[in-house]
Amino acid sequence: MADLTAAELAKQVHDIRKPLNRISMQAELIKLVLENNLPPDKAIAAIDKILQSCQDCSQLLENLLNPSA
Amino acid sequence: MLSILLVDDDREFTDVASHIIDFLGHTVSVAGNLAEANEWLEHNHFDHILLDFMLPDGSGIHLMDRVQHLFPVPKVTFITGHPSVKSVIAELCGPKVDYLIKPIQRECLERLFNPVKQKAKKSSATKTNLHFNCLIGESEPMQALYTMIERVAASSANVMLMGESGVGKELVASAIHYASQASGDLVATNCGGLSKELISSELFGHEKGAFTGAVAQKIGVFERAKGGTLFLDEVTEMPLDMQPHLLRVLETKKLVRVGGTKEIAVDCRVVSATNRTLQNIAEQHILREDIYFRLAVFPIEIPPLRERAADIPLLAKAFLNQLNEDSGTSYQLTSTQLQRLASFDWPGNVRELRHTIHRAHIMSDPAKKEVELPASFASPFSIAQKEHTGLAAGKTIDEVEKELIYLTLKKVSGNKAMAADMLGVSVKTLYNRLSAYGGLGEFS
Repeated sequence: MADLTAAELAKQVHDIRKPLNRISMQAELIKLVLENNLPPDKAIAAIDKILQSCQDCSQLLENLLNPSA
Repeated sequence: MLSILLVDDDREFTDVASHIIDFLGHTVSVAGNLAEANEWLEHNHFDHILLDFMLPDGSGIHLMDRVQHLFPVPKVTFITGHPSVKSVIAELCGPKVDYLIKPIQRECLERLFNPVKQKAKKSSATKTNLHFNCLIGESEPMQALYTMIERVAASSANVMLMGESGVGKELVASAIHYASQASGDLVATNCGGLSKELISSELFGHEKGAFTGAVAQKIGVFERAKGGTLFLDEVTEMPLDMQPHLLRVLETKKLVRVGGTKEIAVDCRVVSATNRTLQNIAEQHILREDIYFRLAVFPIEIPPLRERAADIPLLAKAFLNQLNEDSGTSYQLTSTQLQRLASFDWPGNVRELRHTIHRAHIMSDPAKKEVELPASFASPFSIAQKEHTGLAAGKTIDEVEKELIYLTLKKVSGNKAMAADMLGVSVKTLYNRLSAYGGLGEFS
């Protein structure tokens, strides 16, 4: 990780923020669905997307630690 | 209902964001890159554009040129994952541009599209922008000052504030206290106003019966400022023989009340202030060197008002607004009046400006809308300084010479021989000059 340049690190951090942002927005959507008693299928779809984004996030963090892998 | 253009290359984000914006009752169009955004802008009108900072075919900033030329100009909000981009956007930020940082929350979006709240926010912003809840000014020297306050507030370093009388040292002290988010209080005391006998008891407190008249225990300012900030105003007026006591407290971070035996831990930031210059402090042995270095771990120079003339209209309006509010009036300053205020050099600094506005407010004719500024701003305190500031670009040598001669004559009460000597000319030359100026005037 030491030989990672600042620019590369910034880019990686930016990439990791992307799924985080998705998670945050999907969560907001779920909140809206529940607050307004809307059909639950939208919420379930959003939850699936959150789970996927968590996987993405985890993978990106892994890449950050082991860039070669 | 607003019409919104969302520009971001993250498909999933735009999907979910459109859903949410839809829920909030607005229509939304989505573009995945600059080209698509341009296409949308070609044929449609949008009230608000949400713009990603980094797009596959360029930076969101490129779209700004085009947006600025639209009529009416839509509001633009940059979306960015980098908090560091903040400063770049802040520069672009007209009243119609702001930014959100990812991850975005629904409240932020709601606030963005809620024009009622937006307006309320705007009007309070135009009122006066208070920095650290107390400082007014947007000029460059003040921005530099704000940065310093921010930095030092994050540390626990002792600060010494330097600056001319009336620049607002106490306000800067409370700004530092405010920015440091300390749990304790801001306690202020004026070292110049305390007698030698009382200063120990004021600073460190005393026990009951410590000296004649000490009928009860007293807690000193150091203890009262526990967990907070102690402001020592006019610290340079503290008697020299008191300074070792203060130094010991600063060094050991412990104090003993007068007449007491128990050591009490000191836990506060000391902000001290002086209107003397550093050179003056050092040359005249006003502060011991060791105590200076303890107090001035982080010295801050507060700029005089004349070095931030751009802030004068802002300050004047803020003072007048305050006075209007307090007395239920609604006087205004005209732009000519503001210009007059801004071109004066205010030797008494912000304090003098506030005094002038206060006086003008009292003098104002209730039948008129504008305040009545005095014909001349010069106060008795500023005259002495004014005489030395006679030099300015644009004056002829003759004018300066004349001014110098009259000034010198005034200084020596009209004694021409002495004046000629001081000026380095013969008495005859001096007489020649004076008669050329149309006689001896008051010095005949």
